[in-house]
Amino acid sequence: MATLPQLIEEDIQSLDETLREFLAQTDATVALILDKGGFLLTHQGDAGELDLTTLGALASGAFMASQTIAGLVKECDFNHTVLQGAKYSLYTMNVDEQCLLVVVFPSPTGIGVVKYYSAAAVRRLARQLAVARERDPDGGLDLSEMNIANPEEFFRKKTV
Amino acid sequence: MAIINQATKELQVKIVYYGPAMGGKTTNLVQVHDHVQTSAGNKGKLVSLATSSDRTLFFDFLPIEAMTIKGFKTKFQLYTVPGQVIYNTTRQLVLRGVDGIVFVADSQYEKMPENVESFQNLVDNLNSLKIHLAEVPYVLQYNKRDLPNVAPMEYMDFLLNNRDVQVPAFGGTAHKCEGVFESLNMITRMLLQKFITQSVPQYA
Repeated sequence: MATLPQLIEEDIQSLDETLREFLAQTDATVALILDKGGFLLTHQGDAGELDLTTLGALASGAFMASQTIAGLVKECDFNHTVLQGAKYSLYTMNVDEQCLLVVVFPSPTGIGVVKYYSAAAVRRLARQLAVARERDPDGGLDLSEMNIANPEEFFRKKTV
Repeated sequence: MAIINQATKELQVKIVYYGPAMGGKTTNLVQVHDHVQTSAGNKGKLVSLATSSDRTLFFDFLPIEAMTIKGFKTKFQLYTVPGQVIYNTTRQLVLRGVDGIVFVADSQYEKMPENVESFQNLVDNLNSLKIHLAEVPYVLQYNKRDLPNVAPMEYMDFLLNNRDVQVPAFGGTAHKCEGVFESLNMITRMLLQKFITQSVPQYA
């Protein structure tokens, strides 16, 4: 499994800018970039009451399941998936080996405009991720001040 | 793979509960959800993609926020896999991006073959993702210790924990929340230790 690129502030700004432009073009509600493992990397738009963490985990799982289905029917992959509802629909598109674009949009908007503009957006997102992948920043977070010798401090059980 | 987001000051970690069918993986998540001490809003909903008979179909998912480390909120994503043999493809999907594993074994004597088979399945599925078991922090939880026909923990260690490096193993009775937090805290400790000793990916 390939590793994710290391992203810096400049990368996130670029990704967010692409998402903002995409939302303006499509009138979509919210757009997310996910790691295929289910993590939410960044998002733009009006999330409102949406639980984006859970949405990201489920959308990623569903999309990855669709890739397995693609293999079963002798397809290389399914590049995108659409879930259509009465009020809102969800469009998921492959960005690169590690990431997905997920778009929540009002169903009356129609899938056509979302698909049309997502193609260019995904190219830009993939390009920025490729730039990040080629860069070699010093990563890491110094966790050494943590007292990991005492695991009790992580999750505590409620006392009744 | 854990994600550090410098922009939002978040550390995201994925822990997967693995093990044979009906071993108590979902019960572990239910107990964590019901009993963990968190501030308001730090615990997400427990999402279960289950069959009509409450068997896990795809996965269970519990997002939960724990402590702050040097200004970084740590967000844990806890997943279970479906234990039933037929859902192996699903287990591979859920393992993608895993940072730590809690292997929940069933302590009943007659379940030992299933425990061993499930553990080997875990090794195989990690290999399919080009991950070696030795690279991933994991702990063992010998669940259902309250039942009368359980195997001794030493015997379960012999079957499941008999490698060059032995990992922490806990007896558990998940439905009584025994061993649940011990396992979760230990795997958290182990994977954070791993982050300390190696470079981690950094997100803006």
